Amino acid sequence: MLKIFQRLWQVNWAEQWQYRANLIMYLLYWLVSPIIYLAVWTSIAQSKGSVNGLTANDFTTYYMTLLIVDQITSNIVIHTFAYKVQDGSLSGELVRPIHPMLTNALVNNVAFKILTIMGFVPIWTILYFLFKPDFSSVTLIGILIAIPAMILGFLVSFLLSAAITSLAFWTTRVYSIHEFYYALSLLFSGQFVPLTLMPKLIQDIAQYLPFQLLIYFPIQLILGKLSSAQIIQGYLSGLIWLIAAITVFNWVWQNGVKRYSAVGA
Amino acid sequence: MNTLKLLSAFLKVNIQMSLAYRADTVVNILLNLMWLGWELLSLSIIFNNTDTIGGWGFGELIALLGVFRLVHTLMIALIWPNTEKFNQSIRDGSMDYTLLQPINSMFLVTFSRITVWRAWDLVLAAILIVVGINLSGDTTTLFSILTFILLTISGAIVIYSLWIVLIALTFWFTKFDNNVTILQALLDAGRYPVTVYPVWLQILVTFVIPIAVATTIPLQGLRGDLTLPRVLMFTAIGIASFLIASQVWKRGLKQYSGASS
Repeated sequence: MLKIFQRLWQVNWAEQWQYRANLIMYLLYWLVSPIIYLAVWTSIAQSKGSVNGLTANDFTTYYMTLLIVDQITSNIVIHTFAYKVQDGSLSGELVRPIHPMLTNALVNNVAFKILTIMGFVPIWTILYFLFKPDFSSVTLIGILIAIPAMILGFLVSFLLSAAITSLAFWTTRVYSIHEFYYALSLLFSGQFVPLTLMPKLIQDIAQYLPFQLLIYFPIQLILGKLSSAQIIQGYLSGLIWLIAAITVFNWVWQNGVKRYSAVGA
Repeated sequence: MNTLKLLSAFLKVNIQMSLAYRADTVVNILLNLMWLGWELLSLSIIFNNTDTIGGWGFGELIALLGVFRLVHTLMIALIWPNTEKFNQSIRDGSMDYTLLQPINSMFLVTFSRITVWRAWDLVLAAILIVVGINLSGDTTTLFSILTFILLTISGAIVIYSLWIVLIALTFWFTKFDNNVTILQALLDAGRYPVTVYPVWLQILVTFVIPIAVATTIPLQGLRGDLTLPRVLMFTAIGIASFLIASQVWKRGLKQYSGASS
């Protein structure tokens, strides 16, 4: 099994390496909106002293951390997998004795992630000197506690996206469904603004959804803003969502593959 | 005259193509409304916490959202589909056939694909601009409205010209098929008045990838923030950038050598 992963890694790493110029462009997409939100909110906080108890530096550290967390927890499976169902190139992978989504697509995603992070580090460093965030609230323990949370966040996000991507077995409009899902995650994850600034109703709903595991929870962990009770609660809901995501994905995948019928010769 | 005839022919073909995807169009319009809801919600969250950003009020940001959506429509309805087709034609050599047509190749490359249903986005944008300006209580004169229209058109021309330059680069660097990503990525900066950004970002989105010229500046014209020489300057920039872009396109064409030869 280990050998399979090793080989898959070599193949996918080589594949992603070919597209390294594209990766830089993808990075731009990721970077621009957090930087814009950072600029907007720090300018508001500066003019008013603080927003709902958050200072300009709170916003700067929030979005600078968000850039890192988002890199780690996000996934691109909709872009790398859905078309294979549609154009039939999945057939070749289905006859192999390994799970196409949980091995090949997963390794591909991780390879993509590591390459983008390599490009991301220097950019983040430049942004650090441009925005000069004060990270004095960050502790080593906070980071160590956040690492499993980010991995958990990535697994949940990957599995949920994989489940949605697998809807491609039923419909060609899977990209529209994913767009809707993406909008939900914008709303409930803390991507736009720290969740405490969202309307009360959205905050309440966000408690019961997986999206804050991807952004808000890891950020607050890194910045050391959570009590131990909140940390335990966050991890518990993360585990529950992981189990839920595995179940949902398995169900969608197994029923989807049964429906699969390739096109072409 | 010929150009207009061609344009109407392109429109006709594109309408026919999109009629084949009626259900998709409905889904897309629903998604579009969803994003509008999200944009309005995000503005209302911002203005729950402040009265102005970068000196602009809520109404003015609604109007800015309208102007932003005009540029966004230009991007989605024209720039994306044509770039995709163009990159494809460079890769497989079908650009040869485009060049053989007895009309201006730049026009042909940039207008042959139009996502027609996006026209409704323009209506939405106009509504946002009118409602936003009314909410803001800014007084508009005939002069400021004319300035706004002039600057919006010249801003759109600046973006169009930048696009031409970016895709023309593909003639030199064939592998450069990410040509418009940078434009798309920075587009989001047009949602807010550039005055809130740090200086380096202001410079980037005003001079390097001039999104602001097509979003913030027309609205500043409408608010009466710009003096006449400034208005004329931005109009001149629009004209100049178009002339430069057509020159770059012509030179790029000389580089083109077909894909298979």
